[in-house]
Amino acid sequence: MSPEPLEPLEPLAGVTVVDWTDHTGAYAGRLLADLGADVVRVVPPGGDPAARVGPFVPGADGRPVSTFERFVNLNKRSVALDVAARDGRDVFLRLAGRAQVLLHTAARPTLAALGLGPDELAAANPGLVQVSVRPFGATGPYRDHLADDLVQLAAGGLLSLGGYADTAPIAVAGHQTYLAGSIVAAGAALLGLLGRLHDGRGRAMDVSVQEAIAGALEDAVPTYDLTGRVRRRLGEVPREAGTGTFPCRDGHVAMVAGRLGTAKAWTALVRWMAESGVDGAAELTGPVWEDFRHRQSEPAIARFREVFGAFAATRGKAELYAEAQRRRIALAPVNDVTDLRADAQLAHRGFFVPVDDPVLGATLVYPGRVSLVDGRTTLVHRPAPAPGQHTGEVLAELGVGDEQRTTLVAAGVL
Amino acid sequence: MATVLSGERVLDYCWVGAGALVTQTLALYGAQVIKIESRARPDNLRLSPPAKPGQTGLDVSGYFASRNSGKKSFALNMAHPAARDIAAALARASTIVTSNFRPGVMDRWGLGYADVAAANPAVIYLSMPMQGNDGPHRDYVGFGSTIAAAAGLVHPSGLPGRAPLGTGTHYPDHVPNPGHALVALLSAVYRRVRTGRGAQIELSQFESTVNLVGPALLAGSAGAPPPAPAGNRVPGAAPHGVFPCREPDTWCAIAVGTDAQWAALCTALGRADLLADARLGTLLGRKAHEDRLEEEIAASSRTVEAWALMRRLQDAGVPAAVVATAQDVLADEHLRKRGYWVQQDHPAMGAMTVAGLPFRSDVDEAGPTPAPLLGADTWEIAESVLGMHRAEYERLVAAGVLT
Repeated sequence: MSPEPLEPLEPLAGVTVVDWTDHTGAYAGRLLADLGADVVRVVPPGGDPAARVGPFVPGADGRPVSTFERFVNLNKRSVALDVAARDGRDVFLRLAGRAQVLLHTAARPTLAALGLGPDELAAANPGLVQVSVRPFGATGPYRDHLADDLVQLAAGGLLSLGGYADTAPIAVAGHQTYLAGSIVAAGAALLGLLGRLHDGRGRAMDVSVQEAIAGALEDAVPTYDLTGRVRRRLGEVPREAGTGTFPCRDGHVAMVAGRLGTAKAWTALVRWMAESGVDGAAELTGPVWEDFRHRQSEPAIARFREVFGAFAATRGKAELYAEAQRRRIALAPVNDVTDLRADAQLAHRGFFVPVDDPVLGATLVYPGRVSLVDGRTTLVHRPAPAPGQHTGEVLAELGVGDEQRTTLVAAGVL
Repeated sequence: MATVLSGERVLDYCWVGAGALVTQTLALYGAQVIKIESRARPDNLRLSPPAKPGQTGLDVSGYFASRNSGKKSFALNMAHPAARDIAAALARASTIVTSNFRPGVMDRWGLGYADVAAANPAVIYLSMPMQGNDGPHRDYVGFGSTIAAAAGLVHPSGLPGRAPLGTGTHYPDHVPNPGHALVALLSAVYRRVRTGRGAQIELSQFESTVNLVGPALLAGSAGAPPPAPAGNRVPGAAPHGVFPCREPDTWCAIAVGTDAQWAALCTALGRADLLADARLGTLLGRKAHEDRLEEEIAASSRTVEAWALMRRLQDAGVPAAVVATAQDVLADEHLRKRGYWVQQDHPAMGAMTVAGLPFRSDVDEAGPTPAPLLGADTWEIAESVLGMHRAEYERLVAAGVLT
């Protein structure tokens, strides 16, 4: 079976990407596949390394299936190949030889030992855009440091801003650094592709997950650089009354009501509470409270929490969301994934797309797009493949005949 | 200086958060990015701290400077009726138009996709409305932190029984939403270079962020319950957490994924007693005794300076990193050697350091050009892009249009 025909004007139609990444880079190829690239994922015969990352659900045979792996491999083809074997390396080079982009997560010494260093790959395909995704990048004193998601969050600085003021720093859930590094890598791959169109040369792009995370510290870096102040974690009680995460009847809401100079939302919030007859609301009105310097004082933050807490305790998050937004106050429910499936806006826009999954033997519901390009409502082209599902098809495209393939299978290379 | 995008001119209405980071990458790769703002209504970020002590005004925000490197600033008062023709002329002369306003704002200025594409069919037009251009919540308001909460990123993050946390920042604004938008935008540029065809791209910041909980959504659709907050613990590793070090409020993240790493950790901490404890020799055993395990590791980590602990553990083959503050990342020897931090000489603020792009290319080097003063490039753009004469420019400045 050849790849399903994409619309001829899919942005990346005709671009071939070899995706030889582990869990830290696999979402990069996914983003390129969404936009029409033919992304061929190369996995070792033992299985996809991204499948070591959870969450897991029971598969048809009772074995756990990683939905992280299912998520990051949507729209790809999959080839099972032992790149470390000599014949496997040859097949890999043929694959990379006809590709425009190679995404990988191997350390430089590993690549050199396999004869797949940047220069060797460039010799095989001078126009190849090579994108390396590593926790600390391909160069520098920490290039071989070991890391997982938590360690990457720490090294990049984001972990220092998360957590309650009275506890150790606490990480955001969901392996965000694996996605963040991949998002950066997809952008780097495209800049490389455009560079290649510009001057005809391939490129080696060196992506560092630590740097991707260090770019997410918002005002913390300029604050230290310009004032010497070190920003620290504040938990659910940020710097200003009206801002933060607050309990309500059935969960929590997050709010930014009035921020620095803009008092409009603050005034609207206090009016709402006053109209609802909340004790203490009247006390929060007036010019003193409209000045953010007052709202940033500790007594103001504490008093606001009491008043708003009493108000929210009798109201549900959906009700608070609707009414706050009607009053143009930036409040949102703290949703879990079940809430998301019921969200009216996402439903209206047809965001969720069911996909029959070949590995699970059941339907998985995907977020249907990252962005809308040319008004296409879904970017789902094909299900995430079973590992090695397209080995025969891709080898045939490379001109590897059936007989040769049988030999490679017998040798354990495929 | 990178010239990959030197053929691109960007009419940029991205303010404040996510959008500004998209167009900064374009600028650092050689595009001419014309940022539209005015003294009547400056980008809010220009009013946001931090500034150097004693510096005030619209040109001294370090926050603004940290995400507008390499851009041109064109002062255009969009509230003035005469501004629209100038904006339309800039849109005709641009290859890319970007904005992150609420739905309808660009249309009211005659800068909606249909308007721009009618005169410039090959334009690539990116809008980044918070919840998309249609639907019952299209006019909802929010910030990165509320988008993160609505999108499911906050709920599973925190300690059981306490308020959910997320990242403690407006995270969607900083990596996922600008990153997702950049990927779509550059893909469209790639297609336009090859086919001449333009594109309309709409990135709902809410939808983009929901992808960050994609794996949990898939699991939920297969019947799994929503993930519950578990602090820093994860199912497949123990110890896996953040441990106190010798100095106050210093911490080291340690992630032990294998029995070999466990043995290496015990040895590196001089804890032969833990290594000898058979109950802790397996992952299942360590998970079963995780409270005690964490107390024991903390008792040892507390005696060691954080960076020394990280080095000792990495040398032993244990994944570990200091929980770096902004001060730490700025001083980080590795990031410095990699050339991540860029020293700039800002015309109003003087010397400052900003983050560079999170990748290096062996061919293209991003420049150190600082963020522009408000309106610094108005005349240059008016003359070179619009062919405006000096007298006309001065008339428009005096009339409150180019200001």
